[in-house]
Amino acid sequence: MSDNQKDLSRRQFLKLFAGTAAGVAFGGAIPQLINLGNGVIAIPASEGYLLVDTGKCAGCSSCMLACSLVHEGKENISLSRIQILQNPFKNYPDDISMFQCRQCTYPACVEACPTSALYVDKENRNIRTVDERKCIGCMQCVEACPQTPSRVIWNFEEHHSQKCDLCANTPFWDGQGGPGKKKACESVCPVSAIKFVQEIPTQYGSVGYDVDLRGPIWQKFGFVARRDS
Amino acid sequence: MNGYMGQILRINLTTRKISTIKTEDYAEWGGGHGIGSALFWELCPDKAISGFDPRNVVTIMTSPLSGTLAPAVAGRTEVQGIGVQGYPIEWFTRSNFGGRFAALLKYAGWDGIVIEGKADKPVWLDIRNQQITIKEAGSLWGLDTWETQEEIWREVMGNAATRDEWWQLGTERDSGRTTQKPAVLTIGPAGENLCRNASLIHDAGNSAGQGGFGAVWGSKNLKAISVVGTGSVDIADPNGLMNARLWAKENYATHIDNPYDERVGLYSFPNKPGNSLGIYPEHVSSRPQGCFGCHKGGCRRRTDSGGNESQCVDFFFYDAHDMERHGGKTTTTFLQTADLAQRAGINVYELESGIIWLRHLYKLGVLGRGKEINTDLPFEQFGETAFAADLIDKIAHRKEIGADLGEGLARAAKKWGRLEQDLKSGILPLQYWGYAQHYDARVETDWGYGSILGERDINEHDFNWLVYWTPSIGYLTGEKPLVSAKELSEIIAEKCKPYSDPLMIDYSDKGIYSEHMVKLIAWHRHYTRFWKQSIGYCDWAYADFVNPYTPDYRGITGEGEPKFFNAVTGSNISFEEGIEIGRRIWNLDRAIWILQGRHRDLEHFAQYTYEVPAKTGYTTYEIPYVMPTYENGTWDYRVIGGRVIDKQKFEEWKSKFFEFEGWDPATGWPRRDTLEKLNLGHVANALAKQGKLGA
Repeated sequence: MSDNQKDLSRRQFLKLFAGTAAGVAFGGAIPQLINLGNGVIAIPASEGYLLVDTGKCAGCSSCMLACSLVHEGKENISLSRIQILQNPFKNYPDDISMFQCRQCTYPACVEACPTSALYVDKENRNIRTVDERKCIGCMQCVEACPQTPSRVIWNFEEHHSQKCDLCANTPFWDGQGGPGKKKACESVCPVSAIKFVQEIPTQYGSVGYDVDLRGPIWQKFGFVARRDS
Repeated sequence: MNGYMGQILRINLTTRKISTIKTEDYAEWGGGHGIGSALFWELCPDKAISGFDPRNVVTIMTSPLSGTLAPAVAGRTEVQGIGVQGYPIEWFTRSNFGGRFAALLKYAGWDGIVIEGKADKPVWLDIRNQQITIKEAGSLWGLDTWETQEEIWREVMGNAATRDEWWQLGTERDSGRTTQKPAVLTIGPAGENLCRNASLIHDAGNSAGQGGFGAVWGSKNLKAISVVGTGSVDIADPNGLMNARLWAKENYATHIDNPYDERVGLYSFPNKPGNSLGIYPEHVSSRPQGCFGCHKGGCRRRTDSGGNESQCVDFFFYDAHDMERHGGKTTTTFLQTADLAQRAGINVYELESGIIWLRHLYKLGVLGRGKEINTDLPFEQFGETAFAADLIDKIAHRKEIGADLGEGLARAAKKWGRLEQDLKSGILPLQYWGYAQHYDARVETDWGYGSILGERDINEHDFNWLVYWTPSIGYLTGEKPLVSAKELSEIIAEKCKPYSDPLMIDYSDKGIYSEHMVKLIAWHRHYTRFWKQSIGYCDWAYADFVNPYTPDYRGITGEGEPKFFNAVTGSNISFEEGIEIGRRIWNLDRAIWILQGRHRDLEHFAQYTYEVPAKTGYTTYEIPYVMPTYENGTWDYRVIGGRVIDKQKFEEWKSKFFEFEGWDPATGWPRRDTLEKLNLGHVANALAKQGKLGA
């Protein structure tokens, strides 16, 4: 299934579930929903998103190392909530892919969780995150993520799911994280190929999340400034 | 043991026995080269054997910083063993390479790999976390380095090799998952055919080229090592490491939105992304590309796969010929030839000097169709891809003239009866131990002296960017370097503790034979042996003496190296303590070379170094040498080209150096008290047993 097929439009998100069907669909997640009246129930949108520029990324994987470091206190790229994949034998721009959590307006991972362990965190501007204490390890959220590879990470060392929280909870870093504050991956990226924004990106396909973060200076380095192939 | 995985994988290819070595027993050496030398010392009892002998031991080591966020260190792997490139003796030597291999080896749970013995038929090593399998490599034998890696990916990953998705290592839910492709280190046809100039290649352009380790692997019937891991590297101070990385980025790395392009010079830690010395044709779209954890991204990947991940000499071995052929402009030829060398697995330094030499012989009428050295190399296409492709193919497959060139330039010249005369005239620019002249010992003495006192072209740019390239470029362009020669001497003195001698970088005719130059060479040998080759700090980023972003232009070196090391390991060592460990490693290496036959009488340059004045552009890609000198009471960057090394003065300088190191000036062999102070009493005993302890 392609990204295009999987993604839902913003309109779909706003008017997705009506009446009692939402309660069934979301199980224990009902308290996270907003009743818009007229039978329309919605999930509040995250107030923060990570955008990337795969054409700018240098493939150093420092974002993965930083993510693992501040969240887990150790280096393990398998536990990183952002994934950088490379094929050194492919040519630019098909040699690198960046996969960050989209903080979907319609979060299938939240819907799939039977225990509300994966929830919308109102205290942190509605990011979609995991309460690891509630996770029973069913991995339904991992499977439910419509993106490939799944943006919900299975922590096989501690046996629970985890996902990008925009650094709202970084027990191993004294940087003030969370929406509107520092993000480890964005902070460490040496070429500024990751950017935090508050506006909701276009949910259809990847164009809203994989954007042009280059500028005139990028040309000074001998690269093309515009997005190209 | 934060930063370490706790175990080193030991593989005997003869018996196919797989065992482990505790890293803890060797942690005093730091990692990388230090541990490699210590392991070699113990596991290779007869150090005077050939590199092709099955008893040769090859170590492939990471460091505690591999796979961590410490900048420009996480991806480097150190390779050691008896090399087959050195001449006249196959010295115990080293090489290293970047990419992803070191990180994935750590995540698999291993600090390094020791290879012993020789397989009875071609094999490759499949490492998936703790699952180790020696597999038959019959179907891989003959493939080039890129084809081999893609074949192994398919074998290890199955269908996931062609898709961007999570894939599972093992069958249990919690046996580990990853999105990453295995990191493969492999030889190409050149290694299989025992070319002494054969490299080890990883991904598209990461190469351990010097030493001929590709041929050593080939002799062991080892085609490749593949590794993938899903484990964790424990970090003593995660917050400290994260903040140190951000501190380095803020204060010392290139500011993406405020690059330093208005300033003259080449720097270490900051580097414009994708700037492999700025030689790419700009009309082709590309991205910067960096090794694991790299903050610089100094390489590139392009739309047309021309030289992807390659840099520097990967291109320079042919770019001047490309330009000459094509009206003074480079074409994509020099990018294509870089790829050809990487795929065949050939050391490009040998190609660089070899092509220059072969062309000299061709012009002399000695070499060519029907000539004394008969070859159908297409000199009429010199400068085109076709010429380089034919040469690379001949060498890698030991065809025609390649049968001799695969023995390396020195041995080929010996066989052709040209070694002595061509080293005397300098048309064969093998300045130290049969290695191609990289930077010229006649002028850049840190490079030349370091190489001849070691065992290979040192390939360490710590001083090179600042003492040679920056002032020399400025001389050509008319622009002043960021710091004056006097300021540079003061910065170097501050950074090069414990010596702190401003006259260390006096490259004048007098300075190069002085006790000050002794300190420079000693510091350099000790610094690189520990901080760069054992801990793994990349040569393209360290040492960082001068930095255009700091208010006083002081670079990160001195503060940065121990800051990252201590955050990862929880140690509290100082910069100088690291250098002292480097001195210990340097002495251990010296002892190994002595057991191989090293004596001060062997430590001399090729004859042209003493007789033929340095001539710009005659041997490599050098530009006129303009370097810092202290003359008549003043510092300046001055032209020092056109000189030779005075052999007698150099011999006297060597005596001073040996005394400084605590070695016997008559032989260059360490004294017992020197070794015992370094807790190397067992090494002293071994030397004494052979009658090779310094008096």
